[in-house]
Amino acid sequence: MSNVVMGYKQSTFPKKLAIVSGIILLAFVILPFMVGSFQLSLMSKLLLFGALAVSLDLVWGFTGILSFAHGVFFTLGGYAVAYYLKLNLSAENNNYGGDIPDFMVWNGLEVLPWFIAPLKYFPVAFLAMIGVPALFAYITGSFIFRSKVSGVYITIITLALSSALTTFFISQQAYTGGTNGITDVSKLSVFGMVIPPVGLYFLILAYTAFVVALAWWLTQSNFGLILRSINENENRISFLGYDVAQYKIFVWTLSAALAGVAGGLFVPLNRFISPVYLAVAFGTQVVIWVAIGGRGTIVGPLAAAMILGQVQNSAERVTQDWNLIVGILLLVVVLFIPNGLMSLVPKKFSLSNLSKPKPMPETVVKPVAPSVSEPQPEPVQRGS
Amino acid sequence: MTVATAESVLSIKDLNVEFSGFKALKGVNLEVYDGEIVTIIGPNGAGKSTLLDAIVSKSPVASGHVYYHGKDITNKLPYEIARMGIGRKFQNPNVYNELTVFDNILLALKGTHGIFSSIMAKLTKAKKGKIYDVLERTGLLDQAFDEVSSLSHGQKQWVEIAMVLAQDPSIVLLDEPTAGMTTEETHATGEIIKSIAKSHSIVVIEHDMEFVKQIAERIVVLHQGAVLAEGSVQEVQSNPKVIEVYLGRETINAAA
Ligand SMILES: Nc1ncnc2c1ncn2[C@@H]1O[C@H](COP(=O)(O)OP(=O)(O)O)[C@@H](O)[C@H]1O
Ligand SMILES: [Mg+2]
Repeated sequence: MSNVVMGYKQSTFPKKLAIVSGIILLAFVILPFMVGSFQLSLMSKLLLFGALAVSLDLVWGFTGILSFAHGVFFTLGGYAVAYYLKLNLSAENNNYGGDIPDFMVWNGLEVLPWFIAPLKYFPVAFLAMIGVPALFAYITGSFIFRSKVSGVYITIITLALSSALTTFFISQQAYTGGTNGITDVSKLSVFGMVIPPVGLYFLILAYTAFVVALAWWLTQSNFGLILRSINENENRISFLGYDVAQYKIFVWTLSAALAGVAGGLFVPLNRFISPVYLAVAFGTQVVIWVAIGGRGTIVGPLAAAMILGQVQNSAERVTQDWNLIVGILLLVVVLFIPNGLMSLVPKKFSLSNLSKPKPMPETVVKPVAPSVSEPQPEPVQRGS
Repeated sequence: MTVATAESVLSIKDLNVEFSGFKALKGVNLEVYDGEIVTIIGPNGAGKSTLLDAIVSKSPVASGHVYYHGKDITNKLPYEIARMGIGRKFQNPNVYNELTVFDNILLALKGTHGIFSSIMAKLTKAKKGKIYDVLERTGLLDQAFDEVSSLSHGQKQWVEIAMVLAQDPSIVLLDEPTAGMTTEETHATGEIIKSIAKSHSIVVIEHDMEFVKQIAERIVVLHQGAVLAEGSVQEVQSNPKVIEVYLGRETINAAA
């Protein structure tokens, strides 16, 4: 009976949403059998960008924290996996015998640093891929959200984080590979068997579907209602007894972990990671995906990331002025469609609407006795 | 630590609040006892809202103390104060316009307010019952699933009051609950407040003297950041200092 209430999960999974998402998922499952290997690897990359955009949507779209640091979380997860794959190169593929990565030797290191060595082991690398971005987010988040800093200053801090880490990674060439990053990594394999591109594609598809489902599930709950309220007026909700900072730190950390895993999956696909993805330019791109797709819509940022990524790929072959095109597109969206492209989609088809059965008028229980504040209404005349 | 009187719910001692040098409150003392209605009146800018702000840590206290059930809560974080059982209605309706009335009340509903419980929370019969009960008491049942932005100013005031009720606080702080209301709405609000008073202590800021007479038990007059007078409606209205402050003012003359 309470189905019209936004703040609570449905007891059963909504049918319409199940059908629509099922069809979309099916299309992605069939896709690898319809396209060539280049397009398949591009699709894999776009799905990861989609997951990254959804992770930012949780923080910015729902909670109102504009972050340019999501490239940082993505890249931290990426480096964890890149070290793992680099350290697992077979001896013949490594110029220096397999114990120490080539870029470290070139930069004068003779032994593998103790803090990088454990990343040779899969469980450690796996935990680092999630844990390093999450821990970094938890520490920075605790500092930012418990302080008196607010609004645009938080955004400036995220910009500073992005620049500082870019500079740091470039300067620590012996440990990070500097500007080039970590290149020529091994392929991802399980039990000695290399995962083929189709396998990687399905792994990435599963992860992106998981991120979308998680974001949807969280934002449909009472938790989502609280995030929206923080976004609209965070002062008010603290006077209702909510620890706003705790909620922000949680969603910031969760979002960083989700972005980190996307970065981790990006490395076996891309075969390298570099400070390019730490830089403000990449962080800005993620912000643009969310802005153009529509903040707080989950599907919008996902679609925008994938479509813009695809267009960018095609456009780059024709013109070098891709960024100019994106800039103009962003300007148009911000000026004329401030709520993003998803706001052009009829409400009927929006994710939250598909998940909601039609409001039932009998949900409102009529008062037994007339309330103190309202005069008894005149009996309604029924025309026939 | 000063130990407040046994049945004192809220005890304010020598409270000073400054805004970059400007003294908005100058050594205010106030006791609120269990189950009573305290009405605060005073000209605009007297510091009435600031007093409530200082209690819930919206404005920082420069010196002095606020005790709640004998416990010092001065400058604690707003959410901690709210969790202890102090509910606040703001002067300007401070509600979630993009949400339905129901969701506004749902947010305010007393609970643990933790992250995990908010993710796993289910809308139980008991919770729904509590929300409908609060909506009924504030006359908002028919608007339950309307977006708050579509409501009149007076109705938004009731949404605020309903949110405070949903918190189930032991003390309710109401800042000008009848501002922008018609005469009937004002009267209805008075009845709501009286019904709340059966189970809560109330501090209410009000301008409308008709309304003050309807609900008042004890009146505190604030003037230029300090308590000018205190007592029953008659005592306050016949107090020469109060008359002087209000000289020529329509509200008190009309009411006197
Ligand atoms: N946040 C603030 N910053 C600066 N001055 C303030 C602030 N809040 C209130 N004041 C000043 O404090 C005085 C008391 O304000 P207020 O408590 O709102 O009065 P009222 O009795 O009308 O509710 C006014 O002079 C007001 O300008
Ligand atoms: Mg005021």
